[in-house]
Amino acid sequence: MDLATIIEAVVKVLIVLGFVLMGVPLIVWMERKVLGHMQDRIGPERVGPFGLLQTIADGMKLFFKEDMLPAQADKVVFFLAPGLSIVTALVAATVVPWGDTVTLFGREIGLRITDVNIALLFLLGTTSMGVYGIVLGGWASNSKYPLLGGLRSSAQMISYELAQGISLVPIVMITGSLSLSQIGRAQESMWFVVPQFFAFVIFVICAVAETNRAPFDLAEAETELVAGFHTEFSSMKFALYFLSEYANMMVVAGVAITCFLGAWHGPGPIPGVLWFLIKLSLFLFFFIWLRATFPRLRYDQLMGFGWKVLLPASLLNMAVTAVVLVMKG
Amino acid sequence: MSTIAVPLAAYQILAGALFTIGVVGVLVRRSALIVFMSIELMLNAVNLSFVAFSRQHGSMDGHIFVFFVMAVAAAEVAIGLAILIAIFRKRETANVDDVHLLKG
Amino acid sequence: MTEIILFSLFALTAVTCALGVVFHKNPVHCALLLVAVLLSLAGLFIMLHAQFIAALQVIVYAGAIMVLFLFVLMLLNVRRHEDVLTPGAAKGFGFLFALIVFVELLWVALSPGGGEQGSVGAPAALPQEFGSPAAIGRILYTTWLYPFEITSILLLVAVVGAVLLARRKFVG
Repeated sequence: MDLATIIEAVVKVLIVLGFVLMGVPLIVWMERKVLGHMQDRIGPERVGPFGLLQTIADGMKLFFKEDMLPAQADKVVFFLAPGLSIVTALVAATVVPWGDTVTLFGREIGLRITDVNIALLFLLGTTSMGVYGIVLGGWASNSKYPLLGGLRSSAQMISYELAQGISLVPIVMITGSLSLSQIGRAQESMWFVVPQFFAFVIFVICAVAETNRAPFDLAEAETELVAGFHTEFSSMKFALYFLSEYANMMVVAGVAITCFLGAWHGPGPIPGVLWFLIKLSLFLFFFIWLRATFPRLRYDQLMGFGWKVLLPASLLNMAVTAVVLVMKG
Repeated sequence: MSTIAVPLAAYQILAGALFTIGVVGVLVRRSALIVFMSIELMLNAVNLSFVAFSRQHGSMDGHIFVFFVMAVAAAEVAIGLAILIAIFRKRETANVDDVHLLKG
Repeated sequence: MTEIILFSLFALTAVTCALGVVFHKNPVHCALLLVAVLLSLAGLFIMLHAQFIAALQVIVYAGAIMVLFLFVLMLLNVRRHEDVLTPGAAKGFGFLFALIVFVELLWVALSPGGGEQGSVGAPAALPQEFGSPAAIGRILYTTWLYPFEITSILLLVAVVGAVLLARRKFVG
């Protein structure tokens, strides 16, 4: 491993890390602004131009808050859980490609941190580890509402992971590769959302459930469970949970774009990275739109929907795709 | 990676150690859940052994065995935990020594 | 050199955490330590060129089976401090038996391998695709197709059994 490779790796890690961490305040601002306008209010506007610095101010406030530890909480796990949550979110971001290769200083540089040949499996692995942060946070607080929130989310995430994984299988069958950059490259002429529309719909629904966003935010349903699994978390620990929720949103949106929405491809002379960013912003806007539109589901409806509708639908889609692929030869 | 940095025997000894720890868990712990986890530990030790032999012999059959072991483990855990919940509902205990009567 | 360091790291983590699984009081901590064991084993799998198995280990074992464990632990809320170890002579016997097992395994692992392909010496040269999902799929759906289909029946039986057992009341 020569020096240039190491420098390249470090720079790319810094770019992704910086992008995710800087992007989160922006998304939070966007969420509050968009939600505000959709509900016929203005949203934050006092701090900075258009209220842009509001999230930074909130972050500063959280930073200076007292760090509480509930009585008889499990100290080690209580500290571990938020960290696990953010680490899995950031690790998942390493395999998402944000562009094709470019030549810089005479080096071929792939615009992604790493291009492992099992990237998709790696991604499923990290997202399945993400459950721990929430479940353990709920359990370690030694409090009834967080425990219920943790239980709910563990059941929910296991259920929706299945359909999510299976909805990605047709993509793998078409491209014959688990590498995300290969999948991205295969969509130069046609985005996979066209032949695999059902898979896309299933994936998006599961993605909303996986990130615990409304209308599937049963883990933190404030009308029933105070704030769900993070009720007892304060200060920086709460901030870490907050950060990981939005980081997860970005990752899941990145995967959806890479697998279904043509990755970095797009018409016109706009460079690939910019296309990726545009699609990312639109997708995140869609997430917020969903939250403003749909009421929260009831818990049994949620589980029933996952097991009785999404899972069979994704299996059927996979089988049909397989048959079509074989018939085409 | 061309030379043998870590010999097969090292993996086998590690697998043996993990398996033994699993055996200890099954024999000396009383909580049914921990006994279950110890069984998972033993299965994993065997998996490690399979994968190490696969590497040594350059044949992927060991990987296939691990695949099947995982499928069996998943089935076993689903059934086992369901039985455990049924027992817990009836007797309010997860201790294997308390469940020694073969009647409902 | 890197390989030896990595191996020692993973092996040490695995053994320490495994001991924790068996001797820790709190069941939830035991489950977490087991997750640590599973993850370090996944690391070892990658070192052994079994990327696909490593991914399965994380997704299936650490991501699904252990979450199920945690789920049941939290559902039953087994927090009362029961006796950690079995009392009396059974405990001593258990340790003795485990020691015998370990010595036997050690003996087998260290004895020179017989058969055509020796278990000592340099490992075989690996084909390009060794351990990749494509290669595993190829032999899984040809040579091992029959066992694979039977596994699906096994899983179906497990699903039906689990649903039946976990129901609140038995009908009839």
